[in-house]
Amino acid sequence: MDNVCEEQVYSELFKTNSKTVFNSIYYKFGNEEKAYDVVQEAFIKLWENCQKVSPEKAAGYVYTVANNLYLNIIKAEKVRLKYTDKKPGQTHESPEFLMEEKEYKDKLDRALNSLPENQRITFLLNRIDGKKYAEIAEMEGVSIKAIEKRMHLALKTLREQIDGI
Amino acid sequence: MQENYLAKWLNNELSPEELEAFKASPEYSSYLKLADISSQLEAPAFDAEQAFLDNVKRRAAQEPKVIRLKPYRTLWKVAAAIAVIFAMSLGYVSTLTERVNTQYAERSEIQLPDNSEVILNAGSKLTYHKKKWASDRRVTLKGEAFFKVAKGATFSVDTESGIVQVLGTQFNVEQRPNFFEVSCYEGLVSVTYEDKEYKLPAGSSFIIMDGSMITDTVPVNTQPSWVLNESSFKSIPLAFVLDELKRQYDIRIETENIDLSQKFTGTFSNTSLDLALQSISTPAQISYTLEGNKVLFYAKEIP
Repeated sequence: MDNVCEEQVYSELFKTNSKTVFNSIYYKFGNEEKAYDVVQEAFIKLWENCQKVSPEKAAGYVYTVANNLYLNIIKAEKVRLKYTDKKPGQTHESPEFLMEEKEYKDKLDRALNSLPENQRITFLLNRIDGKKYAEIAEMEGVSIKAIEKRMHLALKTLREQIDGI
Repeated sequence: MQENYLAKWLNNELSPEELEAFKASPEYSSYLKLADISSQLEAPAFDAEQAFLDNVKRRAAQEPKVIRLKPYRTLWKVAAAIAVIFAMSLGYVSTLTERVNTQYAERSEIQLPDNSEVILNAGSKLTYHKKKWASDRRVTLKGEAFFKVAKGATFSVDTESGIVQVLGTQFNVEQRPNFFEVSCYEGLVSVTYEDKEYKLPAGSSFIIMDGSMITDTVPVNTQPSWVLNESSFKSIPLAFVLDELKRQYDIRIETENIDLSQKFTGTFSNTSLDLALQSISTPAQISYTLEGNKVLFYAKEIP
């Protein structure tokens, strides 16, 4: 059986999972540097325990460790997220439309920041990382139904905030 | 509308009827826009390749903790297992063989399985097989011991210099470097030395010193003097006397301008070093100084 202690296996695990771990921690922190350090530390923990963690369990392990690290480092810090938009690229939209869109995104940023943490992570993992509800459920260690609930509430709250209800 | 329908909608899980109804609702356009815009969001750039290179570096910094410890941990486990097996087998072997050691300035009394008694003088070693004792009364001796053997089958004392065999008696065996002495105090002792057997009746002793054999007498029905805390010598070279002194008191001995081959006849105490030193130096006409654990014997200046 493959062993996490093998550099090849470890490197593969790092490359496929590090970005998701980074993002999920970033959605909580809103701090790039700290999220980056958490990812590194979590993967070093995996390396140290490579004999005990099977490759199948490794992703879940890293995610849990990262989460605990995050909880240890900072809990009270106010989350301030800023999402850089995708490159506009070629656009034929009118300046008015672009203005309007920019305004909308500012509102969305603010609304996201005021969301409860678990709803925000669920929402962003789905929208940005394209994670399926089942995947998020596994990462967060809850049922798919709970994730659907969070997703539903997140959409509802965001719309209400943006529409100013 | 089913539970969590917004989540279901985003995941394309609504039934056609439900979707129709949702599209008809006034909030629909807002949700559509939210879904659209939010899919354009991006997290900060994260280069997994770059991060991995960084990870390799960070792990290297932790290396001693990670890579080196692990093989040692297994090694320790193996070592521990071997130690346990070794200790167990040693324990097993030691149930077969009894060993008694005396250090310098130490003496030990041993009761053998048949109630024969052994008194082991300083700096000596005695081993015997407890389990085999009933069929073979045999001990191995290095050093000096006095035996009071209970009547019974042949009792053997194996030494590097020779074998001593008796039926039931009291005798002393001393085997030191270049010195082998057997003294019989009661009964009859047989000594095998260099494939020759010598019968030693009570009251006689047999000494092999530097390869030559001397026979002497000892008082019958007594015990060797060392059992009574004295070391006695009769025409024994001073070197052997000083060796015995060393064993009895665990001291370091140095000599200066002394003829170590000169014969010494006398007795020294095994309990008082001062007395012992005087007992040796006076008849041998030498001087000594005692400093801590060290004795220096030197030639007496002729006045």
